[in-house]
Amino acid sequence: MNTYKPKVLIVDDEKGLRVGAQRLLTGEGYEVTTAENGTDAVRLGTEAEFDLAVIDLKMPDLDGLEVLQQIKEKFPNTVCFIATAFASYETAVEATRLGAHSYIPKPFSPEELLSNLKDGYQRRLVNLEAEKWKKEREESLLEVAFEKTRMNIIVNSIADGVLVVNKDGLAVLHNPAALRFLELQRISVEEYILDKLRPEILEMFKKFIDEENNEHKSYTVQIELKPNREFFIEATASAVRHPGNNLAGVVIVFKDITELKKIELIKSQFVSMVSHELKAPIAAVYGFLKLFNDDSISLTPEQRKDYQNRSMIRLDGLLTMVNDLLDISRMEMQTVHREIKRVCVHEVIASILELFQIDINKKGIHVIFDQDEYKQCIKADSDEITRLFTNLISNAIKYNREQGTITIKLSLSDDYLLVTIKDSGIGLKPEEKNKLFTEFFRAKNDKTKNISGTGLGLSIVKRIVDSYSGKIEVESDYGEGTTFKVFLPTIISN
Amino acid sequence: MSMKKKILLVDDDLDLLEQNKLLIESKGYEVIIANSGKEGFETFKKVKPDACVVDLIMEEHDSGFILCYRIKKDDHGKNIPVFILTSATYDTGFKFGASTTEEKEWIKADALLNKPVIIEEFVQKLEAFFELKK
Repeated sequence: MNTYKPKVLIVDDEKGLRVGAQRLLTGEGYEVTTAENGTDAVRLGTEAEFDLAVIDLKMPDLDGLEVLQQIKEKFPNTVCFIATAFASYETAVEATRLGAHSYIPKPFSPEELLSNLKDGYQRRLVNLEAEKWKKEREESLLEVAFEKTRMNIIVNSIADGVLVVNKDGLAVLHNPAALRFLELQRISVEEYILDKLRPEILEMFKKFIDEENNEHKSYTVQIELKPNREFFIEATASAVRHPGNNLAGVVIVFKDITELKKIELIKSQFVSMVSHELKAPIAAVYGFLKLFNDDSISLTPEQRKDYQNRSMIRLDGLLTMVNDLLDISRMEMQTVHREIKRVCVHEVIASILELFQIDINKKGIHVIFDQDEYKQCIKADSDEITRLFTNLISNAIKYNREQGTITIKLSLSDDYLLVTIKDSGIGLKPEEKNKLFTEFFRAKNDKTKNISGTGLGLSIVKRIVDSYSGKIEVESDYGEGTTFKVFLPTIISN
Repeated sequence: MSMKKKILLVDDDLDLLEQNKLLIESKGYEVIIANSGKEGFETFKKVKPDACVVDLIMEEHDSGFILCYRIKKDDHGKNIPVFILTSATYDTGFKFGASTTEEKEWIKADALLNKPVIIEEFVQKLEAFFELKK
């Protein structure tokens, strides 16, 4: 027996037996506690767990069976013996029913007691082991079941499609999203799936199967499921390997990249347009310089002067365009350093009109604007507000007719400051109105062909207005004029 | 003494239009200009030029193709060379060359000219067409 001392509770009203048993058992390596009556026995036996208990059946206060029952109730694994001189068949049955391990008939010899206790203690150890094992098994089963449910919930919740195909081409796992990407109504459990996969996907799967020692971790393919970039997917296949590195199957993850593809297209179109728009003025200036250097072409001094001026105008335009592009890029990267302070819009507009006075006079335009009529200050970056109204007023002048009018009005509309800029210019066709705020859009017709511009001004206006959570509306009748309505929140939360 | 050949030049960029006019004139041609696709076709009908040089991107990205198509459908136009002028081939990424027979049917330009126009190259191509017609 090892250093652990099995704990024994001896319950007997007979003092001699208690003392004798204690001496005997202590000598044999047991830790002995004794009780002289049933009440004490119940208290001791339920207070701490004993390995073994020897309980006298007949005691003055409590019946031994009663003690047995209470101890067993608290500690079912305490191995209990009933000791009695009045053994009857009925009490034996009853004692066993209540959980007694066995009977020890009185009187008993020390050997009989030791042999019974030894046997009982073995039983105790087996019981404990069984209980421990049972508990572990229950716990691990619970864990396994829990893991499985958890994994199913997670896989089913993923927006990307997941499909796991084993080596034999059976679909062993998939989530609902995968059906959409595979264009299938359903996949049955362990269904043969290879004949339902698109060739591009099948090819990736086959690469893993064909090359057993394939070092590739994964393959990716992009597929246009619906034409015109309506539904574009990316499928990534990765090997699932056994611990020994043998191929178990392939997991394919499907991703919806439609938006990404759309953005890609917009980006490349934008780059195309930018390069075209930048190239035009460069080509014009280059052309003039070449004419100056061409000896076979004789230019009059007036022509030379004219071409020099025109080169300057094209270079000015180029510079403006580059600055506009930089502004747009800064706005997109949100690196614009804003200095939010009180900006009085009526004052801003008045000073812009002053700057444009020469152009206004040149065209004989009549401006109707009374800066004292409605004064409104907002919290904003003054450079941006100036830029916003400069672009709009500059358009109102450029696209106006000779002797036309520009009417500017400030008013309050709910929580917004409303600035209305109305011109009597060439106006917009309905189809032009929709494209007005897109980059590089310029209404191109006989009336606009002599007006220079970058096609970025209104796009910048829109970005500024949007960045202040405002809105911009445009009303226009072709040939009659255009009205822009800018709504800026009077309280700007930033 | 032979009559000067009439070249119709269509471009929406007024500066380039004038530069190319001067260059082509310096090589002994008569140049008539128009600065939109629409005006280009009207001028074409009026002057019946011996050749046309059309900028690709004007009002729309394909205005030059449309004008070229209309000229080539015309009784006079089908017998004269039409050159499309562009810088779009390589640096803007617009899809360009006819890749299908249908597109070939549609894009009937006789040659593409890169911007800026190298006048000697243009004259050489133009004269080759005139030679063919003799």
